[in-house]
Amino acid sequence: MIDITRRTAVLGGIMALGAPAIIARAADVIRIGVVSPETGAAAESGSFMRNGIKQALDAVNARGGVLGRRLEMVVADDQTTNPGAVLAFSRLASDSSIVAFIGSIRSTQVQAMAPGVLRTGRPMMIGGTDPRLTHQNNKWLFRCRPNDTYSAKTIAAYGVQTLGHKKWAVVTSTDAFGTGGRIALTAALKDLGITPVLQQGYTNQQADFTPIVLQIRASGADLISSYCTYETDLGVFARQLRQLGVRTPWLGSPSIVDTSALELAGPALYGTYGVADYAVDASPASKAFAAGYQKLYGRIPDNQSSWAFDAINLLALAIGNAKSTDPEAIRTAILGIQGYQGAEGTYDFDQYGDGLHGYSVVQNQNGTITFIKYVEFPKPS
Amino acid sequence: MLAILPQLLFTGLGIGSIYAIASLGFVLLIRAANVVNFAQGQFSMLGAYVMLILLVGLGVPYWVSFVAAVVLMAGFGVAFAGAVYWPLRRHGQLPVIISTIGASILLPNLVLALYGPSPATVSGLFTSPGFQLGPVFVDSQYLSIIVVTLLMVSLQYVVFEKTLLGKKLQATSQDKEMASLLGIPVIAMVLITFAYSAALGGLAGVLVAPVLFVSTGMGATIALKAFAANIIGGYGSIPGAIIGGLVIGLAETLGAAYISTPYKDAFGFVILLLVLIVRPQGLFGERIGEKA
Repeated sequence: MIDITRRTAVLGGIMALGAPAIIARAADVIRIGVVSPETGAAAESGSFMRNGIKQALDAVNARGGVLGRRLEMVVADDQTTNPGAVLAFSRLASDSSIVAFIGSIRSTQVQAMAPGVLRTGRPMMIGGTDPRLTHQNNKWLFRCRPNDTYSAKTIAAYGVQTLGHKKWAVVTSTDAFGTGGRIALTAALKDLGITPVLQQGYTNQQADFTPIVLQIRASGADLISSYCTYETDLGVFARQLRQLGVRTPWLGSPSIVDTSALELAGPALYGTYGVADYAVDASPASKAFAAGYQKLYGRIPDNQSSWAFDAINLLALAIGNAKSTDPEAIRTAILGIQGYQGAEGTYDFDQYGDGLHGYSVVQNQNGTITFIKYVEFPKPS
Repeated sequence: MLAILPQLLFTGLGIGSIYAIASLGFVLLIRAANVVNFAQGQFSMLGAYVMLILLVGLGVPYWVSFVAAVVLMAGFGVAFAGAVYWPLRRHGQLPVIISTIGASILLPNLVLALYGPSPATVSGLFTSPGFQLGPVFVDSQYLSIIVVTLLMVSLQYVVFEKTLLGKKLQATSQDKEMASLLGIPVIAMVLITFAYSAALGGLAGVLVAPVLFVSTGMGATIALKAFAANIIGGYGSIPGAIIGGLVIGLAETLGAAYISTPYKDAFGFVILLLVLIVRPQGLFGERIGEKA
């Protein structure tokens, strides 16, 4: 015989009364899981990411949501570490009411979560640019930034053909992002008949770049190119370069035009070039995003916010087109998105899950990022 | 490649001085309270943030901010002792160590919640970035760090060896019971050591802030190296802490330039391993048998 105490009866009553409300609420919303660095070295980029997501969610919900339901984000902190990212994703994945995920802008953390995403079988929008992420038989990863094959080709072509530099020093982080960038850049340079005079890696969160700066000076390089993961590293490197008298032109990956890098390095980055997946003046959509962002948050956005903004809009579009929250239907709908004008560019998803295939070239003119041109590459067949 | 050696030596000494000054605070707590404080690096982070708030946030003049940051950190050291060390002091070393590890996690996250995640810049002691001296660019901030480290070591020598307070502190660190029997206020001495240790950590943070930027992650970088410096120099040895810090700074800088840049962080720890194999008590440490 089951012994029902008064406490059990009260709890049961509360659950019985509350359950319909909870079920109704769950049915009213479509939940998106967000794996974001709330703490750790990239906590700032996490706040930018959430800004972009919130801006998109508010706009989508103001239009009446998707399938008549509001979009809602559920955030889990990745602590800016790979184990943290895996843990955060596991927590979100265990919630079956979450229909899709926004992953990380950091390739190394996407790489760490990828096996879990594959097992879970729900779409994850990612910002990591290591080309391998969408080419390792994981059909659930969809990239909202152009990958580093394109950034490397843009850097190589602009540096060699437009700026006319032949002696390259390539400085990269040794993590997945930096290593992927180095491999792609050296391959792109090789296609143009250039072998870098110096290739130097560094581990993240460095206090001092003097040895690398001195090696660049000794190498006789006429152009520095970089793939730096953290803005603090980029800031320290930039300041030490200039302090040690190295005035060599610099053409970097998108982190060179990140808001934080510009604030930390200040004049040390003046005159540098960069490739950027997000540039304010690149298109009417990017300008509209920047205007909305500035109105909401009082500052100019960078790619940390723009890709996340696009990720939500793309998911909303895909769920709307699929008329369903079934993962396979959303996946098919994402791959079917062609010609969508996002803040980052025009999305034409290829069969690998890459939505963008080009980069802007920009220059830091006394702290202001000036758009030079956009380089579009053909979609892989 | 020899042409760059003077520049590397200067930079290595600068970086090593930061590790040395943080390690010094670490060692003092080991000696006075037998506490291995894993939150020592976070004292540096907090000092840098106090400096940032005073100098940039409130517009307080540089030197006032500098001194105030160090003094406030000394006060924080006393509060830290009260919260992290005092309630657990009679329960052995391990609970206190775990408590300091907890503090090392809590403090950066507390700052993150209060101040936000944006890293920030603060100006250095001098407006000029530095000057050229022959083949060496003398970075004014690294020069400041080296000079301040030398001053602190000298001051510490004078205080510990030439003053009554220093002798009381030494007596407390050597044998608390005997010091108490001799009428030395042991509790006050331990609190003074915590205050001094936090002030040293804060000073390291204030000095390194213009080089590393102010961020919640800066403490972890310093703490790990300061701990390694302490082991290399000799567990609990004051001269060892200084030499250990300088050895790691130089090993990293020279190793990165002449052997491998990606493995820069490994060189200090390779030396740590070698020291542990060849001379387990550290460069200046006493063998347990001798100490007994």
